[in-house]
Amino acid sequence: MPEIRYQRLTRARARSVFAVSFQSRVSLWLGPDHLLCVDSSGYGENYKRFYFRDIQAVTIRETKRRTVWNGFLIFPPAITLVGFMMSAFPLNQNVGAAIAWSIVTAIFLVPLIINNILGATCKCQLRTAVQIEELPSLCRVRQTRKVLAKIRPLIAAAQGGELSAEAVSARMRDWAVSSAGTEPARIVPDESNIPPRIAT
Amino acid sequence: MEGVFNQPEFAPCPACGVPLHVEVFPALFRKTNAGQGGEAIMVEGESSCFYHPLKKAVLPCDGCGRFLCALCDCALDGRHFCPTCLETGRTKGKIKSLENQRTLYDSIALALAVYPMLIFYFTIITAPMALFVAIRYWKSPQSILRRTKIRFIAAIIISLLQIGGWVTLIIVLATRH
Repeated sequence: MPEIRYQRLTRARARSVFAVSFQSRVSLWLGPDHLLCVDSSGYGENYKRFYFRDIQAVTIRETKRRTVWNGFLIFPPAITLVGFMMSAFPLNQNVGAAIAWSIVTAIFLVPLIINNILGATCKCQLRTAVQIEELPSLCRVRQTRKVLAKIRPLIAAAQGGELSAEAVSARMRDWAVSSAGTEPARIVPDESNIPPRIAT
Repeated sequence: MEGVFNQPEFAPCPACGVPLHVEVFPALFRKTNAGQGGEAIMVEGESSCFYHPLKKAVLPCDGCGRFLCALCDCALDGRHFCPTCLETGRTKGKIKSLENQRTLYDSIALALAVYPMLIFYFTIITAPMALFVAIRYWKSPQSILRRTKIRFIAAIIISLLQIGGWVTLIIVLATRH
């Protein structure tokens, strides 16, 4: 059987925020009829396939991770900026030190700028009939939207069309009505020493 | 809650207020069919399932050819397997769509060749090991994703250089005395 050619959707990303190099990294790939989630430890890979025909929902939840990171990343440039101010003012007091401080400040500003350029952070979950799987590689809203725009038509094609917001609402209501009509199974505890039975 | 489904923009979650975007697909509303239990044999001489002799065979396994009842039939990518063939196919990697892990021997070989250079004494042991791993697993399946043999090649070159260095050192030390 020929190997499937996958198209990269996201770069590998560690599962947790404070990840070290030994931790597994997760990336997302697009196959002909499925999404492939690759969990790589560097010396081995684990694969999870999500077939387009089975994907029930994708949930994106905005998080405050960007703000938290901004809080951490602002400290080093703030400190070096103080150093720059002290060496630069009064004017021309110590030009060499001022240049050095400004370079260090600029270096420390880079991650802060990147964090904000990448945009708002999010958590993305994918739901099938049997699981709800978090996709750690989809952690920025803009990137997640791009990926969703790419896979949405493929999922719709595999499942026979897209659903509008109104159609989902109507189906949800039907669902609620139909499930309200069926009585849930009653569990009857007979004695404290034997397991309860389901009443018929 | 309905206001958050398939909306173009984020909408606040009715429960906690967190901005939420939920994309729902028709599979959510698809009814799941109950699995078939297999039909019992009614007429004597009818083909029976290999695993359930009292149940009627409905098709042969595409892997081993054994007759299977509806209960034992595991359909996968348009083919039908018995549970044993499915398990064998998964563990031996014969059914590609069931393969869920691979070892990256090329990365192991390269790591064995490169990392011990930090404390180079170790390379006397790790260089032959890296060379062995690279040669032994040269043809083994690599990552499912596209990957060249560059790591193997790099591991072989680096380990050969290390072995060469050690051989030269030993010769020099031996001839000096």
